[in-house]
Amino acid sequence: MTIELEATGIVKRYGPLLANDHVDLSVLRGEVHAVMGENGAGKSTLMSILYGMQAPDAGRIVLRGTEMHYRSALDAIGAGMGMVHQAFKLFNSLTVWENVVYGMEPARGVFIDRRAAAAKVAALAERYRLQVEPNAVVGKLSVGVRQRVEILKALYRDARVLILDEPTAVLTPQERDGLFDIIRHLTADDRTILFVTHKLHEVMAITDRVTVLRDGKVVDRMVTSETSPREIIRAMTGRAVNLTVEKGAAKPGAVVLQARGLTVAADGGKPVVDHVDLSIRAGEIVGIAGVAGNGQTELIEALTGLRIPDGGSVAIHGVDVTGVDVERHRDAGLAYIPEDRATTGTALTASAADNLAMGFQRKPPLAKGRLLDGAAVTAHAKKLIARFGVKIGSEQLPVGTLSGGNLQKVVVARELSHAAQLLIAEQPTRGVDVGAIEFIHGQLVAERDRGGAVLLVSAELTEILALSDRVLVMFDGRILAELPVAEADEETLGLLMAGRVGEAHLKDGTEAA
Amino acid sequence: MSEQSVRASRLPRIPAVPLAIGIGILIGGLLVLASGGDPVAAYRAILVGALAPSNWPNTLNWAVPLVGMTLVAALPLRGGMVNLGGDGQLVIGGLVAALAALYLPLPGPLLIAAAILCAMIASGLYASLAAWGETRFGIPMLISTLLLSYPAIGIASYLVGFPLRDLTTGLAQTRMIPEAARLPVIAGPLNIGLILMVVVAAAVVFFDRRTVAGYELRMRGQNAKFAGYGGVRLASQQVRVMFASGAIAGLVGAILVLGSLYRYQDGALLTPGYTWSGLMAALLAGGAPLGAIAAGLFFAGLQTGGFAMQRETEIPRVLTMVLQAVIILFLAIRHGVGRKSS
Repeated sequence: MTIELEATGIVKRYGPLLANDHVDLSVLRGEVHAVMGENGAGKSTLMSILYGMQAPDAGRIVLRGTEMHYRSALDAIGAGMGMVHQAFKLFNSLTVWENVVYGMEPARGVFIDRRAAAAKVAALAERYRLQVEPNAVVGKLSVGVRQRVEILKALYRDARVLILDEPTAVLTPQERDGLFDIIRHLTADDRTILFVTHKLHEVMAITDRVTVLRDGKVVDRMVTSETSPREIIRAMTGRAVNLTVEKGAAKPGAVVLQARGLTVAADGGKPVVDHVDLSIRAGEIVGIAGVAGNGQTELIEALTGLRIPDGGSVAIHGVDVTGVDVERHRDAGLAYIPEDRATTGTALTASAADNLAMGFQRKPPLAKGRLLDGAAVTAHAKKLIARFGVKIGSEQLPVGTLSGGNLQKVVVARELSHAAQLLIAEQPTRGVDVGAIEFIHGQLVAERDRGGAVLLVSAELTEILALSDRVLVMFDGRILAELPVAEADEETLGLLMAGRVGEAHLKDGTEAA
Repeated sequence: MSEQSVRASRLPRIPAVPLAIGIGILIGGLLVLASGGDPVAAYRAILVGALAPSNWPNTLNWAVPLVGMTLVAALPLRGGMVNLGGDGQLVIGGLVAALAALYLPLPGPLLIAAAILCAMIASGLYASLAAWGETRFGIPMLISTLLLSYPAIGIASYLVGFPLRDLTTGLAQTRMIPEAARLPVIAGPLNIGLILMVVVAAAVVFFDRRTVAGYELRMRGQNAKFAGYGGVRLASQQVRVMFASGAIAGLVGAILVLGSLYRYQDGALLTPGYTWSGLMAALLAGGAPLGAIAAGLFFAGLQTGGFAMQRETEIPRVLTMVLQAVIILFLAIRHGVGRKSS
């Protein structure tokens, strides 16, 4: 097979940050090539360089045997590159064909040849089985169809290499399958796809080869058919996979969290969370495994009061908290480590003392009536910083300067110190160094042994397997299966996470819902 | 990735204020020079006019409404909210105070207290209407506060122009309020409105630094999502803060009507532009109460000095407004640089 696109020694530096550190990428003609990596691994930077949006500090790009020096994305487009961004770049008030031909309109004198334009777009859509009505107004189309318009735009400019940046992040499973069909038609026509994603099962499903980035460097290149999700995870995170956690048997007590028929509706179509029943007991860790985007985020939002569910009920420690605000959830006994520590879990510009006080500000000793006791706030922060080993110069410093692991420790310290009945931990170790991971895992087990009920949501199967006493698998908005951790292994969970219940050999004691 | 680049490009904030003031003075001086005036004389006239001991009462008298309107803007801004409706809230406060003073059958001190209270409640409710519109229907407060000003101003104008007009004068204004309803004078132009405003300013600073609600408002300003996740009830907080903000505007209106105008006169509360100077002062301090109060005092000095300069030299007082605008612009550039990369 011939090499379609080759990048060698790509370096891109932003101030002190080396976003791309001598990245080599080689893509064969007609293949689907996955570029994987955690957030901040340098995927987006690399793609923007390949698409001519940014110039590399060093390195060369060779497209079909010719070395390229792009001055802008227009040069790259001219050379046969196309890109579908995560956030679509479309005119919502214009029709499909107007969007597609924009900038390259077939003209008749000074006028646009509307009929020819629409016909051309229709023919293109037909050829690659992109079901789009050329005269529809883009603003009225669903997200999946808009993405097809973006692909059409690139094809209209005869893109030979198409970069898809997290293309499935916004799609429903059905739309995603449709996209995969389109990708197959494109590669059959010898077009090349660069597929940027961090969703493992999609990589396994559609790609031919994988390049994995970590901290701006290429850490591994694999042939999809010869690798496993486990190996890809290991390459992406650089973690030793055997992060085992010492823990004894669980002693489950009374039910702490009870959800019945919990439903979160989507804008038209299938609910994102579909009649989920859950019960978490004191003294156990229940893990929710699932590929990101199967409703976990929305489920947690509905359980914590950040989102009002469209159906069903939630009770914490016997108190019905359906549809009430976060504060009443917390009063009933909720502590919550959110998925995103920087946008939800902390205020980056506020001091560590202020961050650690959140949730405690209305109760003594921090509150004295309606006044806040500044000395108590400081003492509280100092105590937690010492106990959880947060590396920070002073509790008065803003937390935005902390590393990911330290910032996460601030969140974990604050939420664990509530000693709440229920702890919901969402991706508690994402983007955190190994030392902090072990510490946080230890704390979660200690929370369980103290008699707390812990609900753990994680995209890392190893984490789920290491910590959970019971595992629930979430797929397509539903709890697909529930199994004791002893009967869960990576293969079974992986199949369940892909929704393939039939192939997962479920043993006795395992329920498939 | 972006976190680090923010850290690298964020410039230290503290020197920004003196720098902006310096640049403003420089550009203002050049303007004076270009139009054939003497910048040194102009600035001396401003300084003397604002700060000479004999001019303190004037400066303070101007500062009372301006600092008041600064707090009106600063309080919501501390929580990341913008109240652009100061004009409407000011007018409602002034009109309600005048009407209460004219029509409530109460003896002296009680009448004053009742008039102020009515003004504060009316303006507070009017301001919280915008907050309620956002929390309940998603109408952005940035728009609704501004738009709600126009009906308030229009209706007040109609009321004093027709049904409540003082027929003995040719102007759109109410009758004079009774002597008993006028704020007691301290000295010269100064009345107890000054003391009321000092108390309110101190209360806002205390609220911000020492109370639970002040902490929750600050956290909302730093990251509203974080505050909501931590259990702060954002919707009711928004309504309460806007009520307080509006109530301060109502107080300013009441102080102006009961303390110096002695009647509600169409347009009289708005012509000096307290709302916008106050908003700029609040923005200059990023909503921090002490800084905002200092900025409000600075603008009050600048504007009073401007009047003095206009009297003493041929340079029109619009120069001080140019200074004010240049200072804000340069600060906005600094803010903008920090914002963009985050």
